[in-house]
Amino acid sequence: MQRPTLETVPAGRAAQREILVRARRSLAAIILGKDEQISLALACLLARGHLLIEDLPGLGKTMLAQSLAQVLGLSFSRVQFTSDLLPADIVGVSVFRADSGEFEFRPGPVFAQLVLADEVNRATPKAQSALLEAMEEHQVSVDGSTRALPTPFFVVATQNPGDQIGTFPLPESQLDRFLMRIAIGYPDAASERELIAGEDRRSMIRDIEPVAGPETLVALQHSARAVPVSDALVSYVQALVRHTRESADVEIGLSPRGAQAIVAAARAYAFVEDHSGVYPDDVQAVFAAVSGHRLKPAGSTRFRSPAELCRHVLDSVAIP
Amino acid sequence: MAGPRGTDGSLLASLPWTLAALVVSLVPHVPFLPVWITGAFLGCAAWRYLIEKRRRLLPSNGIRAGLALVCFLGVLFTYSSISGVGPGSALLAVMAALKLLETRKRRDQFVLLFLSIFLLMSSLLREQYLWSVPYMAAGVLVVMTAWLRMSAGEEQTARRSFATAGRLLMYAVPLAIAMWVFFPRLSAPFWAVPIDTSRAASGLGDSMSPGDISSLSLSGEVAFRVSFDGPVPAPGDRYWRGLVLTNFNGRTWSGPEPNISRTARGEIRPRGEAVRYEITLEPTHRQWVFALDMPTEWSLPRTFMGRQHQLARTTPIEQRVAYEVTSYTAYRTGVDLSPMYRSWYSRLPDGGNPESRELALSMRAAAGSDRAFVEAVIEMFNRDDFYYTLEPPPLGSDPVDRFLFDTRRGFCEHYASAFSVLMRAAGIPTRIVLGYQGGEINPLGGHLIVRQSDAHAWTEVWLDGTGWHRVDPTAAVAPERIESGAGDAAFEGIGETWGFTAPSRWAHQATMAWDALNAGWNGWILGYGPDTQNSFMQWLGMSDPTWRKMMLTLIVLVVGLVMLIGVVMTYRYRPPKKDEAALLYGKFVGKTGLEPRIGETAHAFGLRVCSTGAVPGTTVDAVTDAYLEARYGTGGDAARIRLRQAVAAMR
Repeated sequence: MQRPTLETVPAGRAAQREILVRARRSLAAIILGKDEQISLALACLLARGHLLIEDLPGLGKTMLAQSLAQVLGLSFSRVQFTSDLLPADIVGVSVFRADSGEFEFRPGPVFAQLVLADEVNRATPKAQSALLEAMEEHQVSVDGSTRALPTPFFVVATQNPGDQIGTFPLPESQLDRFLMRIAIGYPDAASERELIAGEDRRSMIRDIEPVAGPETLVALQHSARAVPVSDALVSYVQALVRHTRESADVEIGLSPRGAQAIVAAARAYAFVEDHSGVYPDDVQAVFAAVSGHRLKPAGSTRFRSPAELCRHVLDSVAIP
Repeated sequence: MAGPRGTDGSLLASLPWTLAALVVSLVPHVPFLPVWITGAFLGCAAWRYLIEKRRRLLPSNGIRAGLALVCFLGVLFTYSSISGVGPGSALLAVMAALKLLETRKRRDQFVLLFLSIFLLMSSLLREQYLWSVPYMAAGVLVVMTAWLRMSAGEEQTARRSFATAGRLLMYAVPLAIAMWVFFPRLSAPFWAVPIDTSRAASGLGDSMSPGDISSLSLSGEVAFRVSFDGPVPAPGDRYWRGLVLTNFNGRTWSGPEPNISRTARGEIRPRGEAVRYEITLEPTHRQWVFALDMPTEWSLPRTFMGRQHQLARTTPIEQRVAYEVTSYTAYRTGVDLSPMYRSWYSRLPDGGNPESRELALSMRAAAGSDRAFVEAVIEMFNRDDFYYTLEPPPLGSDPVDRFLFDTRRGFCEHYASAFSVLMRAAGIPTRIVLGYQGGEINPLGGHLIVRQSDAHAWTEVWLDGTGWHRVDPTAAVAPERIESGAGDAAFEGIGETWGFTAPSRWAHQATMAWDALNAGWNGWILGYGPDTQNSFMQWLGMSDPTWRKMMLTLIVLVVGLVMLIGVVMTYRYRPPKKDEAALLYGKFVGKTGLEPRIGETAHAFGLRVCSTGAVPGTTVDAVTDAYLEARYGTGGDAARIRLRQAVAAMR
């Protein structure tokens, strides 16, 4: 795990832009043919949100998380969620040291800048909530003392939608903690061919040159939040949100927090895309990822997946 | 989750307006409704508001049904009927209030607003006052604002809804005027409104006991208004004849029922100039029709003259009526009264008032002639210490004796009664006329106002050879009551004599202005009936106006007005101001010949345009980038200029 000892934080727009271009290029070299998912994952990170990847095993969920950490120079840890996972396995424990006669805190895997929570729905709600609390508070309480988590703190959780037996699906209220939920999907034929024939991905990840460090990432997050949002765009987001509340296909529409999440993600996405403001394209790009897990489709809906529903919402609302 | 009876505060924005609309509609009814209805109404309104505010449950079906039954029975008990204006409006008001308790959704308020409008309009069934029009307009404005509030989005302010409602009402004004002018008036109405009989009628009754008229003296209510064609008769000649009382039972004078006499009119021998005028009579709920003493011709239909020259209509006057009359203030009548009638007009009850009878006989003997006797009695009233007062002491049995010999304080009915008893005791035929005396000229309207306080009783005595003579004993006691115009009298200390303080001149002028407005309102607006309409149509150039022609004109006019208003509204409509970048982009879209789909972004649209090849890709990119930067980004003026140039460069 590499970390640059001395980090020069780029302040100018051009320099930040250069970092993003390099980061995307590095990521695209490893995760083939998934430019959209890479952009969304980066945007989620820049918007200081957490990412939920829901897809079948073997599609590169872990790889995406690992390479993100590597490219951005973040400390990385991984927790495999199982049904017997305890909260202490995530946040850490205090152990008694015989030589000093004192308790010493052994930080758990959550004390990393990028935490990969694999198969988060396999653990019991108690263990899940330990992680979700850390995500929300950016700190954990162990043995009565509060310990701050590193900055930036970014959780990538994965879920396997295929099997439901022995899992504890995250309730809607907790899904809300994730800024985005994305799927990766099968690669296209050319990309798959290259994956099969090409270099070993794991060694590739190890060889990635970090393009930034934690400090730089914080600066980028700061810049992403400053992307201007015009009145016309606010109207657009409002119209989208209102449509989800009024549509017969949706049982529970987007909350104001959902609208805020859309704007925050769209800002970061616009920053990744180097737009001078948030464009409707940015909103459309993040809409399904941000609102897919926040909408509850009506039982009578003709749309089979939240993604389809989101697409339909986008196709029904005029852009002002 | 809100159950079927739960509230979630979603009505908080529109409910206050609906409540305001209901209350505004109720206000014109309040003076006529029992207090408990108003109380129930306001109680339900407050209850409903609190339910919404605290997110409580609405009352259950059982409670609502119980309340409805209680209110229904309450109305039935109060009015002992449920038809008619009074019980009808009471029922409407209380049921509207109960409807509030089952109003859960926004759209449920529609029913309440319909009820508001109906309640508001039903107040016109009672009376159409001058202030009714501005009040109705304001009421409808509130109802319409409530209507708009109900469907308004959260971004629309109440002020804006109010302005919209006002604008819509303004559009409706020409339509309302056209309908009012042209809708054919029928001489016989399609329907009659059952009149609220619970309302006490003020004005003269059918009989006269001591205290009857003095109770009217403080009432400033208008009895009728008169517009003269020529000069206004002198105050001393303004005796407005109403009914005539002929029978005395020792205390109360009463007259014959309204009857018809074929000869009475022919008996009148006019002397001097005729006076022509028009009277607008307020509802009296009685049959008597008032006219200047002595009327010879009148235009009110179904009205006849009785044996004692009193005018009456076959049906009570339940609505304001206007009629033209010709009168002669100088006349002679009943010269050849038959002996039978002479003795009938001289009847007194057996016994009672012995001192008065004795006095009459001795005075008659001293006077020598009937005429001298009349003058002597008048002289007595004038000379002796008789006082004119509004608060006479109570008289016990033999009231005429008590009055003539003990109290000597009284109002016109005391003097008329005492005088008549004295005359009849001496065998002179005498009768009492009830009506009004005087009246005040409104300098603004030029008409004469006769109020309830002008109610008066005077007498007529029959003298051999000259017939009936009007004798007003009150004039002997308080000549200023008769001789002065009441308007002047108010400022010359007469008010104090009568027992109440004179109003200030300013207040008086305001009263006069208000009266002139009311007179104009009655004459021009409420008096717009079949005849007025007919002549107005002819004045407009419609020859031989029939209801068909008027209806056709109305339809053409309404259709024309609606179209005109439509044009005005279209012309006035300003779409929300568009961003210049959006307008330029719209121009670009127009030039591409393609139509963006709903939800299609500029980029996606640009790609589609490029794929058709109609526009060079570089242009599309330039336009799209400049548009997005100008509209959504920080491109500002520079991007806008680039966009303008790029769009202009397209062919």
